[in-house]
Amino acid sequence: MRRVLNGLYGAALLGACLAMVAIAVLVLVQVLGRIIDRGALLAGREPIGIAVPSLAEIGGFLFVAAASLALAATLRAAGHVRVTLLLRLGRPGLERGLTLVVLVLAVGLAGFATWHAGAQALDSYQFNSLSYGMIRVPLWIPQGVMTLGFGIFWIALVDETVTALRGHAPAFRRAEESRETGAGQ
Amino acid sequence: MDITLLSAILVLVLFGLLLSGLWVGFALLAVGLVALQLASPAPAGMVFATKVWGSLNVWDLTALPMFIWMGEILFRSRLSTDMFSGLAPLTRRLPGGLLHVNILGCALFAALSGSSAATTATVGRMSLPELQARGYDMRMAIGTLAGAGTFGFLIPPSIILIVYGAATEQSIARLFLAGVVPGLMLAGLFSGYVALWSLLNRGRMPPPEPRPSLADRLRAAALLAPVIVLIVAVIGSIYGGLASPTEAAVIGVVGALALAAMTGGLSRGAAFDSLRGAAITTCMIGFILTGASFLTVAMGYTGIPRSLAGWIGQQGYSQLALLSALMVFFIVLGFFLDGISIVVLTTSVILPMVLAAGIDPIWFGIFLVLVVEMSQITPPVGFNLFVLQAITGRGIFEIARYALPFFLILVLATAILALFPEIALWLPSTMLNR
Repeated sequence: MRRVLNGLYGAALLGACLAMVAIAVLVLVQVLGRIIDRGALLAGREPIGIAVPSLAEIGGFLFVAAASLALAATLRAAGHVRVTLLLRLGRPGLERGLTLVVLVLAVGLAGFATWHAGAQALDSYQFNSLSYGMIRVPLWIPQGVMTLGFGIFWIALVDETVTALRGHAPAFRRAEESRETGAGQ
Repeated sequence: MDITLLSAILVLVLFGLLLSGLWVGFALLAVGLVALQLASPAPAGMVFATKVWGSLNVWDLTALPMFIWMGEILFRSRLSTDMFSGLAPLTRRLPGGLLHVNILGCALFAALSGSSAATTATVGRMSLPELQARGYDMRMAIGTLAGAGTFGFLIPPSIILIVYGAATEQSIARLFLAGVVPGLMLAGLFSGYVALWSLLNRGRMPPPEPRPSLADRLRAAALLAPVIVLIVAVIGSIYGGLASPTEAAVIGVVGALALAAMTGGLSRGAAFDSLRGAAITTCMIGFILTGASFLTVAMGYTGIPRSLAGWIGQQGYSQLALLSALMVFFIVLGFFLDGISIVVLTTSVILPMVLAAGIDPIWFGIFLVLVVEMSQITPPVGFNLFVLQAITGRGIFEIARYALPFFLILVLATAILALFPEIALWLPSTMLNR
């Protein structure tokens, strides 16, 4: 079970990384295309006109994918920002109680987010909504990816809650503690 | 419901959730939900989905992962070593000596990276051991680094300015350029303070090192040249209207990879790590933006920002009085909130009031960055302090005490910026194209 879950978080993070690489490659093609065209104009030739169609829209979709697919891995790496002021008081009972409270709240809120993002993607699918650009992308695809990211985030939060309920330190707490003691650098 | 009571409830809920340690993105989402439940019949779930989708699906935001990735690559390259070896011969005869390496190094790295924590970490892990070995006063070495590390947010590229620009629909290119002169001014103020301090405390400075030969200087300049070329390519292409911020960032990523490949020191594993690190930081910011976009629209339904703006309008405060009050408020928030959270809270609630007072939104972005920089070095929550704690092993409050003079200089710089807004607004007004 542990291996399956870690594989899921890792695969989602890989997806986020690939979305970032895709942004870089597409934008690079666009920039190089423009440089080649300027060169061609300077040399007195016709510009070739290499351009990535609908780059602005597709870039936006890829950003959504990058930001949402990494949610679970970011949680476990203690990448998400929170105020750890009260936890620093060094009272183990308080720490365990607060960790459980925020985890339960987070599970509820992530469930809300996943549910409604999913409803939106389903709507887009049923009404066959398309993006406006030259390449008409069905909106349910990027919206579905966002829902997937939220859903995996929800799973990761449930996973951490179960770990905490069993009396162990959740992954994000261990990452925070190793960072606070300076071992993370 | 009475709007004052509603505001009080929302503030209590927000700070209660934040203090209990709920992640900032979730806390903003939760407050938005409470606000909608209490003040409006709007269907919260549908509002959430459309707003979040709309706020993340934004072309301008693609600059964010690209600039973060560029910084992550350079952080893992040999750049910090090269920068120290390049800057040391040029600064060692100045009053204050190699302490200026912290300031200049941070200013240079800030022009390649959008984050204050990354700037502090990159410069610090090289310069602090060197300064200690050469007998510099560690209190001053840590203080200058904590202060100068904050340039990361002010000198473009800047993560904070991308977030502010995307949330307020201002031009990110203009915001970037508005940060240049204030950044240079701040570097000048820091350097001036270091020089003055070293002249007044000669006993705490190590004996001066010999004058560098011409060959030393040339070798140093050769080490710095690739960094300067990369900075000019990235910032210059934005200024010249040749590239959008995202395009400039991608040029920066390619340049950073080339630089790391040429100078060696970026293994395949480190290259993957840079991508992973960038994905995690991007996601962290994206999550806060998600919560903030929902909170913004929920606040709009409550009418609180509107009535706050109206109330300020009636009071007839001068802009300076309003800005002073805001600065104090932000400094207090900065004691326990991080910079990006302060910015998104501001854009959801306070911005209409600022605009109603006739303050330029581009200028206000720079003002906000300066206050956010203060929050980076105020305990108990300040990201530069955390980074320095990890490098030096000293306590948060001790580091904050060393950084105090630089905190006060930041306050001074903010006052100068309020009296002479052109410091920020002049450069963008000379921009070519658009």
